[in-house]
Amino acid sequence: MMEGRSAMESPVTRLPTRRRTKSYGRSCFEASSRFAYTSGQLTILRIPTTREAPRARNIAERVDPEQVTLLIKNEWKLSYVTPLYRFRHTHLKKYSKHLSAFIAAEKQQGTAVEVGLETGYRVTFSTVLGIAETDEDAETVFIQIQSKPMFAATGDALKVVWSGWLTCVNGSPEYLHSLLPDFVSLPLFCSSGPENITVVVKSWFEKMFDCRFGSLGLDSTSLQWLCALWTGCHPDNNIRYLRLLWTLPTQPPLDVSYTVNPQDAWELWNSVRQEDSVDGTVGIDEVKHFMAGLESHFFRHFKIYLSSGTLRKVSTALGSAQQDGKVKILCSDYLATVLTLLTECAILKMPI
Amino acid sequence: MSTLKPFSKIPELNSANVLLVENEEQFQKKLADVIVNAEKDVSVGVRLARRLPLPVENEETRPCIDLVVFIINLSFERSFQSVELSLKYVDPGFFLGKVCFLVTGARCWSVSSDRLQSVRKLATSLRCPLLYAEDQTVEGVNTAAARLLRVLKVTAGLTPWATGLSLSTLTRCTLSSDLEGDFD
Repeated sequence: MMEGRSAMESPVTRLPTRRRTKSYGRSCFEASSRFAYTSGQLTILRIPTTREAPRARNIAERVDPEQVTLLIKNEWKLSYVTPLYRFRHTHLKKYSKHLSAFIAAEKQQGTAVEVGLETGYRVTFSTVLGIAETDEDAETVFIQIQSKPMFAATGDALKVVWSGWLTCVNGSPEYLHSLLPDFVSLPLFCSSGPENITVVVKSWFEKMFDCRFGSLGLDSTSLQWLCALWTGCHPDNNIRYLRLLWTLPTQPPLDVSYTVNPQDAWELWNSVRQEDSVDGTVGIDEVKHFMAGLESHFFRHFKIYLSSGTLRKVSTALGSAQQDGKVKILCSDYLATVLTLLTECAILKMPI
Repeated sequence: MSTLKPFSKIPELNSANVLLVENEEQFQKKLADVIVNAEKDVSVGVRLARRLPLPVENEETRPCIDLVVFIINLSFERSFQSVELSLKYVDPGFFLGKVCFLVTGARCWSVSSDRLQSVRKLATSLRCPLLYAEDQTVEGVNTAAARLLRVLKVTAGLTPWATGLSLSTLTRCTLSSDLEGDFD
């Protein structure tokens, strides 16, 4: 399998202005959002076509720094969760006991968890205050599972075996208002740890709160948004590199790793931005132009159309995101922007 | 540049010809095999192309094309871009019922919804029907081939009391107005 690398020197191309005037007999306002159905075809959501440009915000002002370190630097596997029935943020201690008893019971049955290891599990549920952005978002819940060896002396440090969190950041207000009163919506679930424990935790949630989990993948538009938004953060926070991973459907499949010098990426992004100087917002057209610039530069050198393949992974020093739903956030300043995008993806996948 | 013209050649009796245009060249082969074998009464010719314009060398031997089908695979952005570029080489006379869009991969989870939305906008602006097809299974290919054959027989004039234009008026793609509602 070949890997084409391209460290770009100077792709400062002034992109030609491509304005497609959509005339369906309406005024020439470019809509700032468009409508889409959730995958169950029962709810219509607004998908924003413009977003706020991410501003570096010191998250330590709002969130306890210890809790922030739990969230960043880990690679999280994403899933979406349907709304939870009668989930109370006040009963977290009860839920912790319940879940550890459930895991012990599952182990006894010999299902899911490794048999033979003489360890118990201690489960901790906690809320992470400050991540939720609007009043309608429910507070983030963090779950940590530590292994408790049977014969350890008290005072031994417990090893964290699995961690996960449920969150909702800037969830669509129409969707949240349409929920019935007893339901809490925390659509994004991130987990990190052995798969068998994840399965047990999910089945516990499904039994307790009558919800459903499903795997969340990031489609190419979301990855392109992250790519553009992270590049836009370059002046405040050096991204150090912009790496894109494409897979082309040849026989055998060709993997292309495309690494861009951060200053060049920033200049390309800047040249796209100057055409639409609405400060503080980023439009989907600008993102598309940015990606088209990167792809046409690649085509000029290698005569390969990257758009005939699929974008698999975007990574910068601020974080990385993969198409199969694995995300790593390395810089806490832009946590809100990334989580807003992921929450939107999760809500769009709801089978209701 | 050579545009594809609908009435530049004389059609033959009891025959129909369809042109399948697809950038990836996978689905068109499967469709072609099924279409050619399906119909016994009418002689159906299937021409395959990757994009337009068609090569000038075959201009003389090419028969009259009754239906042009643009196949778009939603998994790849290039598919849609190549169709947009090919549309320039189709004479406007074709869009009165002799052009059809066929979309594959619409149910794939990794496809973003805005790609399908842009294909629908294109089909609506050109007043053409938009068909969805499943290309991975044998039944899907057979179903798509059967639908195309039905449309082809109408556009070739082999179905009495129906023309391509009247059929496309009934089956053309529309974007529902509540999804394109006014918001400022």
